[in-house]
Amino acid sequence: MAEVCSPLRPALIAGDKKPAGVTEDICRALLRPPSALWWGGFSVAFSLLLAGVAAVSYQIATGVGTWGLNTTVGWAFDITNFVFWVGIGHAGTLISAILFLFRQKWRTSVNRSAEAMTLFAVMCAGIFPIIHTGRPWLAYWLFPYPNFRGPLWINFRSPLAWDCFAISTYFLISAMFWYIGLIPDLATIRDRLQPGLRQRVFAILSFGWNGSYRVWQHYEVLYLLLAGLATPLVISVHTIVSWDFATAVIPGWHATIFPPYFVAGAIFSGIAMVLTLMIVARKAMGLEDYITHRHVDAMCKLLLLTSGIVALAYATEFFTAFYSGNTYEQFVFLNRARGPFAWAYWTMVGCNVFVPQLLWFRSVRRRLAIVFVLCILINVGMWFERFVIIVTSLHRDFLPSNWAGYQPTIVEVATLLGSFGLFFTCFLVFCRVLPVIAMGEVKAVLRHGKSHGEQA
Amino acid sequence: MNRRVLIGIFETEDAILEATEAARLRGLRIVDVFAPYAVHGLDHAMGLQRSKLPWVCLLLGLAGAAFKVWFEYWTTASDWPVNVGGKPWNSLPAFVPITFEVMVLFAGVSTVLAFFGMSRLWPGRKAVLLDGRITNDCFALVLEQDNAAFDVDEVEDFLRRHGAARVEEREQEVLR
Amino acid sequence: MEKHYWRSLAECENRGELAAAAEPEFAESPAREIEAGPSRRGFLKAAGFALAGGALAGCSRAPGEKAIPYAAQPEGLVAGRAQYYASTCGACTAGCGLLAKVRDGRPIKLEGNREQAISRGATCAAGQASILGLYDSYRLKQPLAGGKPATWEGVDRAVLEKMERIRAGGGAVRYLSETVTSPAKQAAIDRFLAQFRDARHVMYDAVSASAILDAHERTHGARVLPHYRFERADVIAAFDADFLGTWISPVEFARDYAARRMPPNMSWHVQFEGRLSLTGSKADRRIRTAPGEIAGRLAQLAAFIESNGAGGDDLAARLLQARGRSLVVCGVNDLDAQLWTNYINHLLGNYGATLDIERASLQRRGSDRDLADLLAELKQGQVAALFIDAVNPVADLPGVAGLDRIGLFVSFAGSVDETAERAHYICPDHHYLESWADAEPVAGLVSLTQPAIRPLGSTRAAIETLAAWSGHPAKAYDLIREYWKDRFDWDRALEAGFAEVPRTHAAAPRWIGRKPAPPAAATPGYAVDVYAAVGMPGGRHAYNPFLHELPDPITKTTWDNCALLSPAAAASLGVGDGDILRIEAGAAIEVPLLVQPGQHDQVVSVALGYGRKASERFANLGPRWINHKPTINANGRVGANAAPLLAFEHGLLRYQRGGAVVAKTGRRIELALTQTHHTLSVPKHLAPAGGEVRPIVREIAPAELGKPEHAETHEELWPDDHPYNGHRWGMAVDLNACNGCSACVIACQVENNTPVVGKDEVRRRREMHWIRIDRYYSGPPEDVRVAHQPMMCQQCDHAPCETVCPTLATVHSDEGLNQQIYNRCVGTRYCANNCPYKARRFNWFDYPREDRLANLLLNPDVTVRSRGVMEKCTFCVQRIQEAKIEARRNGAPVRDGEIHTACEQACPAGAIVFGDLNDPSSRVSRLAHDARQYRVLDELNVRPSVHYLKIVRDEKQQGEKHHG
Repeated sequence: MAEVCSPLRPALIAGDKKPAGVTEDICRALLRPPSALWWGGFSVAFSLLLAGVAAVSYQIATGVGTWGLNTTVGWAFDITNFVFWVGIGHAGTLISAILFLFRQKWRTSVNRSAEAMTLFAVMCAGIFPIIHTGRPWLAYWLFPYPNFRGPLWINFRSPLAWDCFAISTYFLISAMFWYIGLIPDLATIRDRLQPGLRQRVFAILSFGWNGSYRVWQHYEVLYLLLAGLATPLVISVHTIVSWDFATAVIPGWHATIFPPYFVAGAIFSGIAMVLTLMIVARKAMGLEDYITHRHVDAMCKLLLLTSGIVALAYATEFFTAFYSGNTYEQFVFLNRARGPFAWAYWTMVGCNVFVPQLLWFRSVRRRLAIVFVLCILINVGMWFERFVIIVTSLHRDFLPSNWAGYQPTIVEVATLLGSFGLFFTCFLVFCRVLPVIAMGEVKAVLRHGKSHGEQA
Repeated sequence: MNRRVLIGIFETEDAILEATEAARLRGLRIVDVFAPYAVHGLDHAMGLQRSKLPWVCLLLGLAGAAFKVWFEYWTTASDWPVNVGGKPWNSLPAFVPITFEVMVLFAGVSTVLAFFGMSRLWPGRKAVLLDGRITNDCFALVLEQDNAAFDVDEVEDFLRRHGAARVEEREQEVLR
Repeated sequence: MEKHYWRSLAECENRGELAAAAEPEFAESPAREIEAGPSRRGFLKAAGFALAGGALAGCSRAPGEKAIPYAAQPEGLVAGRAQYYASTCGACTAGCGLLAKVRDGRPIKLEGNREQAISRGATCAAGQASILGLYDSYRLKQPLAGGKPATWEGVDRAVLEKMERIRAGGGAVRYLSETVTSPAKQAAIDRFLAQFRDARHVMYDAVSASAILDAHERTHGARVLPHYRFERADVIAAFDADFLGTWISPVEFARDYAARRMPPNMSWHVQFEGRLSLTGSKADRRIRTAPGEIAGRLAQLAAFIESNGAGGDDLAARLLQARGRSLVVCGVNDLDAQLWTNYINHLLGNYGATLDIERASLQRRGSDRDLADLLAELKQGQVAALFIDAVNPVADLPGVAGLDRIGLFVSFAGSVDETAERAHYICPDHHYLESWADAEPVAGLVSLTQPAIRPLGSTRAAIETLAAWSGHPAKAYDLIREYWKDRFDWDRALEAGFAEVPRTHAAAPRWIGRKPAPPAAATPGYAVDVYAAVGMPGGRHAYNPFLHELPDPITKTTWDNCALLSPAAAASLGVGDGDILRIEAGAAIEVPLLVQPGQHDQVVSVALGYGRKASERFANLGPRWINHKPTINANGRVGANAAPLLAFEHGLLRYQRGGAVVAKTGRRIELALTQTHHTLSVPKHLAPAGGEVRPIVREIAPAELGKPEHAETHEELWPDDHPYNGHRWGMAVDLNACNGCSACVIACQVENNTPVVGKDEVRRRREMHWIRIDRYYSGPPEDVRVAHQPMMCQQCDHAPCETVCPTLATVHSDEGLNQQIYNRCVGTRYCANNCPYKARRFNWFDYPREDRLANLLLNPDVTVRSRGVMEKCTFCVQRIQEAKIEARRNGAPVRDGEIHTACEQACPAGAIVFGDLNDPSSRVSRLAHDARQYRVLDELNVRPSVHYLKIVRDEKQQGEKHHG
């Protein structure tokens, strides 16, 4: 496969690295003891995780009643968090798969951690459909398995059943994708370690990889295939998640625009989360040469694009409601913008539509501090998007007698924080034990944009 | 089994590509090339034929999809039909999403397993390394001394000419 | 389904064996009579006690299931099949006939007795709930002497000797009771009092009708309460009389009223009232009138009528058109108003037509004058002995003093209430389901009460106690038999539950009155209006969690009584819902405010019967978790007692008084409302063009009748694989008949084991009722129209809930039922979210069922749901199955009207009809094709099986009628 790239194109990796240098840089982070900063972050994340564990245990022991839900609003934080995390999970696959197919070489510096982030996000997401049930210990009934109750299968017409398959498939495929990408790097580390336990562990994990090009050839094909599978998969997953709502009769949910709208939103929030993490990791782990301003810049542009799509979706929803002539539908949207939850709605619009517009300016895109803040805001906004879709549609539906409010309890809040705790704990551990940057892939693109050595 | 091989160690991507290409044209038998990363074009240089993995992926994917469609039809319309919201027994459109997911699952998992099979990788397998730096930053071209006509010295300086940093002659147990 | 009564002697003997088997455990079993040889008496006694043998083992000690199966199953009794005993409701003095459903020895449900004239098969919410009183663990299990447990022998001895002393000293003996509707008991009381020189029987009613009786004494020379015949009235003018809700005999009135409200030729009803009552909510026209203005209004009306409609008053004109077919009723306990009412009815010739004073009502006989005298005597300490029976004056009345200066103070209360706790002796009476009794609610109608279970504690019928203290000890059963001797065929009467007897009044009292004096002018300032709430007709029900959690049909509040103020009044005071107000009228009480549209701007209304000692028990009700708030208020009770606001004026207990002062305290509580948006119109700033009002409830004028609305045809996207070949259950709800009385809600709760969740859960909008009554206001806030809409699972053919359930926990039956399979439900709540009617209920917690005695009320045919599962209306599938099994046994198909869902069965207005939509001749099919028929949210094409019939309201002035 010939590389076509102009000599003028700036280098992907700064600092004129050689392969050995790359290995050196990436492994240094793993081999030296964790920094104070790391410990600080870890202790915060881990205590959040513990708080979450406490909240969930209490809820499972006592009942879903410990959440602020009611007869009218049957879902709120639980499914909001679920959709939010699934969304976050999409960026990883996007970067590793879609950008791979589009030959976006710059992805190599970030795809490893983005994929890891995907896994952790999907783990967080996966928790909520389980704990939101009234009887979590029976949640496995959502899967069809041979049994003596009938035979009793599941309802394949239910989007919730679709979710189970989508999420678990997505988790498996992303996990394999991630691990396949990891194998050569594991081998690299294995060969740098002194004999010992750690070395033996890496030896096992690296599957006896020895760099044979006959394997590399299959490997490349496999990677391509997985990317090819993951790309439609990632789109299908959030499409199916959006069907949880789109197939319902509730005004505000019952909308055909949801699949593209949700997918765009997912990528939007996902990229924002990747950037958040990258900007920190870059500083903390001294990876400035690998995650360059160019990467940040590219991802900011992606943010700008997806923000535009999301904004369009918001507008379209209103138009459809107005154009449908369905007064229930129209009411829901007026109620979103001006009803009791208007504050949530405008937080969402502000964070997802207005704030990202700053990214039009290169000067903003170059200032990592600002970008960092923007990304945090975007994630807040995307969380509220799901909250708005779920709660404002439910709390005032067809029969006015059912109209009710919703107020989260401390248990719900703790559960949300707990999911963040889980996510960051996992990520911090990952940063310590595995190469956060795909060495193999980076080495392959080292010479990009170097005027010499181009060949067809 | 052990074979007498001649190993050329190269420092750069260009060198190994060039050397491999030349070696193939020269009719030397290339056992394998070892590289820290996937060097583009090496497969051409070595003259490898295309991988079969895509076929595995396609066939197993279709198989998974077919199975799922049948399974969903069987469970909802035949094995234990129940009236759910007045929907028809066979609600094919509603079966599509899961069918797709299962197709991807089958395709993905089977392809990965097939890969491990083809390239004989498994957890804990002992790695046979020509050089510790292979997984880091250097490349190795392994030529087999298959027949008497193989003149070690000549091939050696052929390799050097093509930029080999080092050339070793070994009795080596080489993978496959 | 067919009811089972006791008949053959053989049965009786079997009962005997059964009871005999239970002998060692139960000292006073009927076995004795029976061993003496079978007799009719023996059998009847057995009829009452029979199953108790098994049941009691369950009630008092072992858990319920120990009661079944019987080792040797008595003939004619099939374990698992219910027995029905005809009886009479004791929840109030109205005397509705009942059938007590007894399952394996336990009464588990009350149903109206279709043949009995007062009930005609219906009941009210309080009546439905009263069965819980039987299993009330706070009821006394034995007599108390000085607050300590005692034996009947001991108490009898002590009381008798004290009585001896009083008889000798000639001290004043007073017997204070509510209206005694039981002639036998009245006789017993008279016999008892006859022993003393100075003895008087004082009757009062917590909600008094004394003024009506007094007025008739003036105008007809007899202190009678007319038997109002709403079914005969073409024009009804009600002045502050909530006859559909709580007034005198609501079940009977609601039924009769509904019977004449069937379009096209409906009666016309105007309501004058200060508080928006249930009755006002159904009126064609409602005119806000302060209590003080009522008498004036009546006088004015009388004038119009005298002048034969001159002045063009619409009401007068309509009344005059309907001479003898009209009815004017007044609920104000004020002599003037009542005299004017009688005068008008007299002018219109309604006596003998719509007011029957020949066979008058005996449901209210209390005399406030006597009561006032007694209270005065008590204050002055002139009473030597006081016997209190079924009333709680300390809590019911203002200014009860001097109780501690009585020589002998005996109470017959079933549990220790505010009055009983000060009595020297408490001789607990049975619960009515445990006792033999008779009642004559309306002259000539004798309604009998037979025990449905043997007494759970060693209580004693008051009538027996009285007999014992009169020197002729006898069993209640004997006393009642004795009293009625051969006036009617006892066996048939017992089986039917009632009997007609020759009139007790010689001739109808004739009009001797004259035109009353012009009424006094109304006093300015706020009028306080103390009323009986539909959900809590009186303090005697304060123990009942079912009723506390029943949303008031108008205010939609639970677990509290509120001060109702009109929006204008609330605004002028600068207060809103939940702000605690201080209401001063003589005494002062503090209650939270509820802004009530339709309320008169000068009237503040507070419900009676709250703030009772009995409600202290709810301190720990509901699930316990970190954020849980108590069900009781700061005063440790549910609500506040409004009795202090009452006062005696001219010998009448006044429930409405002028000159009240209303002030805010600055404190506030959060009310537990089950509905917080009260209209079908969406908030102005959110209203899309054309969507301001939602067509959920539809209302038409008589002129629009018979115009069927264009039927929408829905295109199908898929083949219909699910034809309904056999039955296809459906329901029709006539919104025009429904008056919101909520009897259906309680009936459903009792039938389907729905838990009580407590104030905090209701506040969180998690009440569990399977059927709710949505109440919508329309029109300007000062003059609102009200619509009541019973809402339950609509059993949609294209149920949105079913499609989304991942585990197939809710699916459709081949008879059109939307089934919920509890043990397959994992509780994703997806179904509830996707239900357009929000008819589904979720078990957020394991709602506590710790009271093992109360658990005996559970219906064994209905699963008790555990935490984390979804539940909802099932169309009483257990009843459907029972009827189908029955039909299979008889080899006959299920006939229309054989299956009654609990809600349908209880409904006094006959607003709910259940049946088979596949049977073209069934009532429900006919209604489903009625011109008024519509289905809620039909446009969603979910195909609900519940059909609603539009409300018809005639608001026009009569003149406009023609060009209407």
